[in-house]
Amino acid sequence: MTEIPETPILDRAHQLRGYRMNKMAMGLSRPEGRAAFLADERAYLDRFDLTEEEITAVMSRDWRTMIGLGGNLFLILKISAVDPVRITEIGAHQVGMDHESFLRDRLGKKE
Amino acid sequence: MATIVGGLGTSHVPSIGAALDKGLRDTPEWKPFFDGYLPAREWVREQRPDVAVVVFNDHFNALFLDRVPTFAVGCAAEYHPVDEGWGPRAIPPFAGAADFSWHLVDHLVENRFDPEIIQEIRVDHGLQVPMELFWGRPADAWPVKVVPIFVNVLQYPIPLPIRLYELGQALGRAIESYDGDERFVVLGTGGLSHQLQGSRAGFLNPAADRRFLVDIAENPAELASWSRQKYVETFGGEGAEVIMWLVMRGALTPEVVVRHRHYFSPASMTGAGMIVLENA
Repeated sequence: MTEIPETPILDRAHQLRGYRMNKMAMGLSRPEGRAAFLADERAYLDRFDLTEEEITAVMSRDWRTMIGLGGNLFLILKISAVDPVRITEIGAHQVGMDHESFLRDRLGKKE
Repeated sequence: MATIVGGLGTSHVPSIGAALDKGLRDTPEWKPFFDGYLPAREWVREQRPDVAVVVFNDHFNALFLDRVPTFAVGCAAEYHPVDEGWGPRAIPPFAGAADFSWHLVDHLVENRFDPEIIQEIRVDHGLQVPMELFWGRPADAWPVKVVPIFVNVLQYPIPLPIRLYELGQALGRAIESYDGDERFVVLGTGGLSHQLQGSRAGFLNPAADRRFLVDIAENPAELASWSRQKYVETFGGEGAEVIMWLVMRGALTPEVVVRHRHYFSPASMTGAGMIVLENA
């Protein structure tokens, strides 16, 4: 596979780069992980040997950076189970559009 | 001998399950989508399949990146819904067809496919949503047993499209050689066009989706010959998972009859397609 513009895929480099962040997100699949994240997010993140850059990206809900650092959408989406955000908002954030324009211009939704 | 009553293709977007959970089925946004499945539900009622072989992928819910099987076959007696972050969904567990699963694993290995053999696993929206779309959500038990086939379509290298088509051909022969009188239906799930990651997020390709819904019936060998790259370019980073429909198609005869076809875009961020095929 050669690179496809604007299209991150989970290849070797992304897998290795994002492994710790993805493992952190996988922990949110369990009620104990979600409770720990909610109780003290920073302490929860500290369990996973993340870099400061990764911690900042997660804590500021910077989806574009999380994915740029190797986070996989299906995994980091679990953050939205503890801190609700719509998947279309995550999409809009990555594109750099406001939500309404994203729905209209990318997804062709009227209203 | 067992028989194949047909093949079903469908998207498996998690928002579909969430829409049902929140009682949004008949809202203006969702009603046209769900109504498109009514003829398929009628077909399923008439065909009364005993076993559904469901080809799908786990989305890092039951499986993580620590171990990534390219192909895996569920051989369990039962599959419970997995916790995807919001707690397991309130739907009944799926009964397995373990005897067939073991027959399938034997048959695949003898035909040089070597799947991981899974005895205990939970299933995510990739299996749940297609079952709810074609069977409706039952009060206490599903009227059909399931055999999950897990395909890695997330961690590259993902398998080649041609390989999935050939897996389907082997699956079809496994069903036809199974000593039983069960009626089988094969589900290919995922797609159609969507992209959730990167600055191309929100990419949709309805023209290609509609073409795919024709070609999967009429020109499957051509679709099987595409590169993975071409799938990602045409259907988006996450939409490339539509290659799992090739397993379903490969299990059918070269000529098929299209009983029903439906397209709706977008369901959440995805071009949502459905097809009902029978052997000609």
